[in-house]
Amino acid sequence: MALEDFAAEMDRCSQCSYCKWIPYDQVKSWRFSKNCPSIAYHNFNSYSARGRYAVARSLINGQSGYSDAVREIVFTCLTCGSCDVSCKVCRYNLEPLEMVRELKTRLVDDGQCLPEHQAIINSLNKESNTMGSPRSERGRWADELDLPHLPQDSAEVLFHAGCRFSYDKELQKSARTAVSTLRKAGVNIGILAEHEMCCGGRIYSMGYRDEFTRLAKANIAAWAKAGVKLVVTSCSDCYHAFKRLYPKLGSQIKVFHTVEYIDLLIQEGRLKFQHEIPLSVTFHDPCHLGRQGEPYIPWEGAEKKIKGQIVVYEPQKPRYNGAWGIYDAPRNVLKHLPGVELVEMERIREYSWCCGAGGGVREAYPEFSQWTAMERLTEARSTGAGALVTACPWCERNFLDALKTTGNTMKVYDIVDLVQEAL
Amino acid sequence: MDQISRLIDIVGNAGVLSHPVLGDTYSLDDRLILHNAPSLSVKPRNVDEVQKIILWANETQTPIVPISSGEPHFHGDTLPSVPEAVMIDLSSMNRILKINRRNRLALIEPGVTYSQLLPALKDEGLRVVMPLLPRGNKSVLTSLLEREPVMFPRYQWNLSEPLRSLEIVWGNGDKFYSGSGTFRGEKDEDWELGLVPVTGPGPGQLDFYKLVSAAQGSMGIVTWASVKCEVYSELHKLFFAPSERLEPLIDFMYRLLRFRFGEELFIMNRTCLAYLLASEPDKIATLNNTLPPWIAVVGISGGQLLPDERIEAQEKDIQDLARKFGLEMRPSIEGCRGDDLLEQIHRPSAEPFWKLRYKGGSQEIFFLTTLDKTPGFITTINSTAAEHQYPISDIGIYLQPVHQGVGCHCEFILPFDRKDQAEVMRAEALFRDASHRLFEQKAYFSRPYGIWADMIYNADPMTTTVSKKIKGIFDPNHVMNPGKLCF
Amino acid sequence: MTLPKHVYKILEDIVGARNISDDLAVLDSYRYSLAHTAIHLGPYYNTFTPRGAAVLLPGSTEEVQAIVKLCNQFKIKFKASSTFWSAQGYPSEDNTIQLDMRRMDNILEIDEKNMFAVIEPGVIGATLQAEAMKVGLNAHIPGSGCSCSILATATSYFGSGPSNLYGGWNYENLLGAEWVMPTGDIFKIGSLGSDCGWFCGEGPGPSMKGIARGFLGAKGAMGVFTKCAIKLFAWPGPKTLPVEGTVPAYRSVLPENFKAYTVAFPSWKAWADAVHMIWDTGIGYLAHRQFNMFGRDLKYAMVKILTDPTKTLGDLEELLKDPEVQKVTQDSMRDFQIVLVGMTPRDIAWQEKGFDEILAQTGGWKVEAMNTPEIRNWALLYLIRLGHKNLNLVFGGSYDGCFGLLGAVDFGTTHVEEAGMFKRDWEMHGAIVQAGGDCTMGPIGGQGGGGTGLWENFTCFDPSDQESVAGTLEFFDAATRYGLEKGWGVGMEKWNSQNRGPDGKTTPKEERDRIHLAAPQPNVFRYQNKVREIFNPNNLGDAYYETLDV
Repeated sequence: MALEDFAAEMDRCSQCSYCKWIPYDQVKSWRFSKNCPSIAYHNFNSYSARGRYAVARSLINGQSGYSDAVREIVFTCLTCGSCDVSCKVCRYNLEPLEMVRELKTRLVDDGQCLPEHQAIINSLNKESNTMGSPRSERGRWADELDLPHLPQDSAEVLFHAGCRFSYDKELQKSARTAVSTLRKAGVNIGILAEHEMCCGGRIYSMGYRDEFTRLAKANIAAWAKAGVKLVVTSCSDCYHAFKRLYPKLGSQIKVFHTVEYIDLLIQEGRLKFQHEIPLSVTFHDPCHLGRQGEPYIPWEGAEKKIKGQIVVYEPQKPRYNGAWGIYDAPRNVLKHLPGVELVEMERIREYSWCCGAGGGVREAYPEFSQWTAMERLTEARSTGAGALVTACPWCERNFLDALKTTGNTMKVYDIVDLVQEAL
Repeated sequence: MDQISRLIDIVGNAGVLSHPVLGDTYSLDDRLILHNAPSLSVKPRNVDEVQKIILWANETQTPIVPISSGEPHFHGDTLPSVPEAVMIDLSSMNRILKINRRNRLALIEPGVTYSQLLPALKDEGLRVVMPLLPRGNKSVLTSLLEREPVMFPRYQWNLSEPLRSLEIVWGNGDKFYSGSGTFRGEKDEDWELGLVPVTGPGPGQLDFYKLVSAAQGSMGIVTWASVKCEVYSELHKLFFAPSERLEPLIDFMYRLLRFRFGEELFIMNRTCLAYLLASEPDKIATLNNTLPPWIAVVGISGGQLLPDERIEAQEKDIQDLARKFGLEMRPSIEGCRGDDLLEQIHRPSAEPFWKLRYKGGSQEIFFLTTLDKTPGFITTINSTAAEHQYPISDIGIYLQPVHQGVGCHCEFILPFDRKDQAEVMRAEALFRDASHRLFEQKAYFSRPYGIWADMIYNADPMTTTVSKKIKGIFDPNHVMNPGKLCF
Repeated sequence: MTLPKHVYKILEDIVGARNISDDLAVLDSYRYSLAHTAIHLGPYYNTFTPRGAAVLLPGSTEEVQAIVKLCNQFKIKFKASSTFWSAQGYPSEDNTIQLDMRRMDNILEIDEKNMFAVIEPGVIGATLQAEAMKVGLNAHIPGSGCSCSILATATSYFGSGPSNLYGGWNYENLLGAEWVMPTGDIFKIGSLGSDCGWFCGEGPGPSMKGIARGFLGAKGAMGVFTKCAIKLFAWPGPKTLPVEGTVPAYRSVLPENFKAYTVAFPSWKAWADAVHMIWDTGIGYLAHRQFNMFGRDLKYAMVKILTDPTKTLGDLEELLKDPEVQKVTQDSMRDFQIVLVGMTPRDIAWQEKGFDEILAQTGGWKVEAMNTPEIRNWALLYLIRLGHKNLNLVFGGSYDGCFGLLGAVDFGTTHVEEAGMFKRDWEMHGAIVQAGGDCTMGPIGGQGGGGTGLWENFTCFDPSDQESVAGTLEFFDAATRYGLEKGWGVGMEKWNSQNRGPDGKTTPKEERDRIHLAAPQPNVFRYQNKVREIFNPNNLGDAYYETLDV
């Protein structure tokens, strides 16, 4: 789609500002009622979904042009999708998240790129990862695990580590833990190691659609060549890319997040927990596992009107509103861990507050990114929990970095680390 | 043409009185407020005559002072502050124009009194929320305009309730309808069609009826009002919650206000209740010895729908609540039966006016605050009284929650013997001193009569400035009761 | 004209560089489309409110005062808004500075005993209600929903909503307030002015709150309100709303002292009788004709969609064919919703009994299909939190209300059917949603204790479709003529025509004068003109504060 294809939506946006708050039914306090980090931080209307609709309209109508302000407005969108969920509590014919992705793509296509983002693209082009690290070292995190290395070895289940787990030495243990846990439960799982490439999800959300397509197609081809039937990942960003973006390019691979798989294994009785962990925890729903982790439903169609002016679609369009994201799997897992007590934050599930890492924001707007993370940590602390648990290395990294700047001692875990401790 | 002739032309011969007598003052107003004898009194019969008088007053720069209630007067708002004022006596504009059960509205003129209105409403199955024992000749409209507190906080969604639409003749002579007053309700078919004066605010973006509220006649004259009524119920009970201390009653009252239980809700000290109950002065001492120190009065109405069930539910619930605070709801207390008091307070005061029965004279200090702050103000009045050797046991204390409990009218009744100069001086000194101290303590004199006006307007220069500017619009020639408030 | 650089610099010094912008795209995100929602004029296709000179985010009363004083110095118009929903909060002239009050969003105090809260303009209904509930209190939420600024509804616009009859409308709930007047002077209204606290908005003496707002507020055209106290009322429920269900079909299972019903009546007379009896009896926590906004023919089908997370608007046609849906639709033709809340078990028992008696006496009935647990609990949450008011625009993205029939319910019920049928005929022209003609929504009780009703007939259209917009305008013009012929007065579809015209700017003076001179009391606007002259001598607002100088 082109940005102009959203012109009708730009006019139909309610201007209600629901995109700036969690669904109102879920508001439990003044303190934790906001949902959109970019407007919560920057405050101008332009930084919300409704504001970006208006900015987009202004741009496509030639009423304004690119500027530092416009670039900031567009690229500070984390593409977390919370605006999309809140909007769709009432609206059935608006797609704010898709629109803002298109807006980013338009800026990129028009050369309005940020140098920080360009550095990521350069890294991808050179080394197939977003971290600026050598491709040759991609599989080193699994050195001692003796895993099948695809495509030379075979395995039906591929563990995709993702760029963050591959190169972030502090977090790599969680990738190792994930794979070991699945193996222990009898899953025949392998990795692509240095052949693994970035999923492209991050750059998609930055507006680099062509680069994403190139990467995605390469990954799809690599999996086919390696005979992969199921991809498992512990990175929610990768999970979303594989599950929701790749099918548009022809992928038919089944995708699991590690936590989904662990939940399944628990239900099948293939994982038994022996050790008690006396810990109260709160769970942070990663955007790309939760509200953006809904199943993909292919659709090709057009708008039509019924009853005069009711805008619907022919055929019926699938509705992505966060209803069917992966929320229960991690909670089921936590409930099964002996001694672990789950205390929920106010903003959870489809209306969870973003960690601040996505959309290229961490790289280009570190102060804003860290503020977003701190906001979440404040919310986590307010529950009285001893630890914040999540299921995405980007979330985890952003939280850990934020804690370092404040000297706060709250513990942050990847869920698999607690699983291993309990096994 | 001289004044008198001009006015006779307007209101007729019988409507003009030369050198009217101001009447006896039973309070300290004549000492507290500098005033002058009026030169004339005129009695208009309708709004057209009122308008003509006001236009004449503008033309001749004659100060005019509206008055609607009968004597005795209190608070000093009807004492002319300037010489050569003409009193406009609205008491003969006393028609009840309409009572409509469906919309629960009564349309009244300014001379309509509570004595007149209450039985007429009852005949239609209605009642009006009223203040505590007003004088029988008190103008209903004036009472509501002056924001006198009513006994029924649950019906006060705003402080002006139950006042609704008005017909106003402004000080500039302009006849105007506030709220939905243009729906005069003069035609029966309008009532059937629902074209009724049920709204108070506006029209538009100014709240005209607020601008004449508590204005002491300094903005204009209201010649007609619609008043919202409540349903009359035959089944109505009154209970007492006696207490040695005030604090549990305050907590209990807050709970009732929170739940919006009860009809009449107020608190009194024994002295105040004694003044209310005693028909003669020598009964007061006896009552003071038998009544509990503090009493909450709680009324319950059955309404018109399933009244027995309603009364039963409320009675039991309120009793449960009372017990939570260590109190008991009783249908009577020594010295008073609830039924008797109910009958009394559903009527205007019998003669003599209840506040005057003890010593023949009475001065009140009243202001708005919140209920939880009242003990502090009571301490102040008591200590000030002690300093002035005024007997604390003579102070009647009446605490009336208003605006559904957001605020509380706090009133101290200070009786004195008008014939005893020493008592008069003592009462005056107490009144002045206590008023200042209470004001320093943040008592809100929202109805600033007499000396309170200077206090509050000096402390709030912005309100003073704004008020004067508004006065300049609606009474540009300053003919309406000059010298009152900050004008 | 853009702001002169030196003026921009001074403003930047006042609010900080991060809180001011004159970037064109930013400014365009602060423009409102006149093909959009509830603007009470037009609609006009591809027409927007004027672009502001700059947008500022003040953080305190002091900053607001400094800005306003500067505007007076340089004769620059300014307009503040809190949530920017409705054209009323937007400039009517070029070169107007826009104040976005979002940063001033604190709940300064909740006085639990005396039941009021002190708030800034950026506080919305949802957050105030959530905080109030923690201490057993509730806030009245305006009909436009809990996304709206409570201060704005109380000081600057209307403030009517479903909980009018118990909670009072926000005209009644406005207590003390802090007002930066158009000159930059700060006026503390009521008890606040003499430092006696926030609890009373009246007095001293004649209540100068009367110039802050009347039936309506000044809609941002007379200075900026920076704080106010708002009266609250009892919430005998859990400290947090327990919400379950899958988005968007959230619902709340509340204790037994909370009941939600949809009731219907055999005739409009019976409907009006029941409403009067409810008011006479003093029951009801919240009462509104809410879901009828989807249209007589569509409402139940819409409720089925909204309470089922697997359904979308695309399921509407199929649902309308369902005989069961058709039956309920017919059954609930003359309906409204009511929530009963008891402070105690006896209280709710009595209220239920009383309400059943009212239904018995008027021939009304509870619409059983709306009382299934899922729908009932959805309706309860919907009505209490009022967080789904974006549904006003669900069909095509825009709506406005026509007719209005504001007044006693005998007035409204006499004419609602006729108005509805007039609209139904126009629906068949295709420009507006075909919803059955009667799409009226409004409170059961326009103020505390009841007394009046408002019948806003929802007209839904597509703001991106030029024909739909033009057709809607044509319908509204016809509705205005019809209403005037019938003696109903000018309807809601034109309430702001005297403020803003088809070019998005102030209605020409001749037209404004014509409209005001035709009003029942033109002096209303002459007095407002005098007030404007005195308190806004440099005329830095706009025609949303209506004046007449002839």
